[in-house]
Amino acid sequence: MMSIYRIPVGPQHPAIKEGFQWNFKLDGEVIVDVTPRLGFVHRGIEKGMELRSWVQGIYLAERICGICNTPHTTCYCLAVEQLYDVEVPKRAQYLRIIINELNRIHSHLLWIGVLGMEIGFMTYFMYVWRDRERVMDIVELITGNRVTMSMNMIGGVVYDITPPMEGIIRRGLDYLEERTKYYKEVLLNEPTIRARTENVGVLSKSDAIDLCAVGPTLRGSDVKSDARFDEPYSSYDEISFNLVTYPYCDVYARALVRADETLESIQIIRECLDKMPSGPIKVRLKRTPPPGEAVARVEAPRGELLHYVKSDGKEKPYRVKMRTPTLANIPATCEMLKGYYIADIPAIIASIDPCYCCTERMLFIDINSGKSWVWTDSELRRYSLKYYRERRK
Amino acid sequence: MSKSTSKEEFIAHELKSNFGDVISELKVTGPRRVYVTVPPESLRDILLFLKNMFNARHIVTITGIDMMKSFELIYHIAVPGEHIRSILVNVKTHIPRDNPTMPSVVDILPGATLYEREVHDLLGIVFEGHPNLERLILPDDWPEDEFPLRKDWKPKEV
Repeated sequence: MMSIYRIPVGPQHPAIKEGFQWNFKLDGEVIVDVTPRLGFVHRGIEKGMELRSWVQGIYLAERICGICNTPHTTCYCLAVEQLYDVEVPKRAQYLRIIINELNRIHSHLLWIGVLGMEIGFMTYFMYVWRDRERVMDIVELITGNRVTMSMNMIGGVVYDITPPMEGIIRRGLDYLEERTKYYKEVLLNEPTIRARTENVGVLSKSDAIDLCAVGPTLRGSDVKSDARFDEPYSSYDEISFNLVTYPYCDVYARALVRADETLESIQIIRECLDKMPSGPIKVRLKRTPPPGEAVARVEAPRGELLHYVKSDGKEKPYRVKMRTPTLANIPATCEMLKGYYIADIPAIIASIDPCYCCTERMLFIDINSGKSWVWTDSELRRYSLKYYRERRK
Repeated sequence: MSKSTSKEEFIAHELKSNFGDVISELKVTGPRRVYVTVPPESLRDILLFLKNMFNARHIVTITGIDMMKSFELIYHIAVPGEHIRSILVNVKTHIPRDNPTMPSVVDILPGATLYEREVHDLLGIVFEGHPNLERLILPDDWPEDEFPLRKDWKPKEV
């Protein structure tokens, strides 16, 4: 008779790049039970919100997560705007949709690449991440930042899209659409991916609902739920797009949901650019909102995000509460893991898209002369291409 | 449900006719938002009623607030409306600060496990009947009597 082994995975583990601990109970190779332990990267942001002003809260909310920074600020601003009882101008709402969808494209492409990496398909990872650069360039064009976009403010958005930008964005979208279609083809036809993801990490439809899963995890289990439909914030009801679901309930379904959503997002941005209303992009508001409470929900790339704000009329929030999609998906993940092999752990855990972040801008220092300079990304890219071209001969 | 009343008002009406004697406050603040305040002992009944009557199986989260004299708990429940999780019913309850206990709702809404543990960790509210009310967020060596989200807790200078 086999005895039960206990194996902790994390908080530092090469396959899972976050401070997360999963304690696995194993019967031989098979996972019997799993208990998660969180808090390794808990930074006390909810308390921090209470110690800062309402405006400073935007910047703190933006730094909750590097990848879904825009959904966080959108959600926070939507909640605070409800306290003021104002609706932001139409053009600002459309700009918010565009920036949120760009965020979704970059996050989903990142995830599709990570899936390739987790199953050892490094070529796929490299190609997807190369093309993901294109959407980062578009974001940088609009906001001046590659990752932390600083787009939202209470009462509107900070940056506008000008006509010359529109052409560049559309060209970028055409490229992304073509590439994403190709990556979806690979997902559909590549036997390596299918062998590692099909019938792995199955989460039944009723479990997904009862364990309160959100986002692509939920939609991969054939539940039609998306905050953009459930709660059409920011004029999402004026845009026509499809709610993507797949009935397979496994890691493969979650991958297909994300590939299709990327294509939907590209369509949404095109439609927003076509329909873009003219007018102001922000309204001026007093620094302190009136007393009250409000809840806002936003569909982040990983799923539904909730911000609750409570004001007592002072310059700092009385309480700000966020519920992020990864936390909501953890009970479902525990269920998904049961009955599968140790080797499936990375793919299953990655399938809910727990988030990690990387961003840096490079400063070069020549040690001999002490001279330092900063390169823009296009200069750096030109340099790197030249470097490899010369060495290839 | 007639065409003229919205689903939000219908939910509010149903709550009022079934729990009218315990509800202390009930309001529909806008599209997709219902706020209802009940005593802690009726909370489980309300959630069970929403689950059976409106098929509300999704708990978005539990917000705990230190109101200085009491703790306020808000259970954000998503009720199917136009779509499966359209309407947010925010069920509020107040529990005394000197005896912060609350019946657990995990058996009604299994998705609430982590949210109850989170509130237990950060505000020190004990959920009676929770299967595993262990530390979730704070470090293992965190002092037993310190709860960071209480208003009298101040971050220490580093």
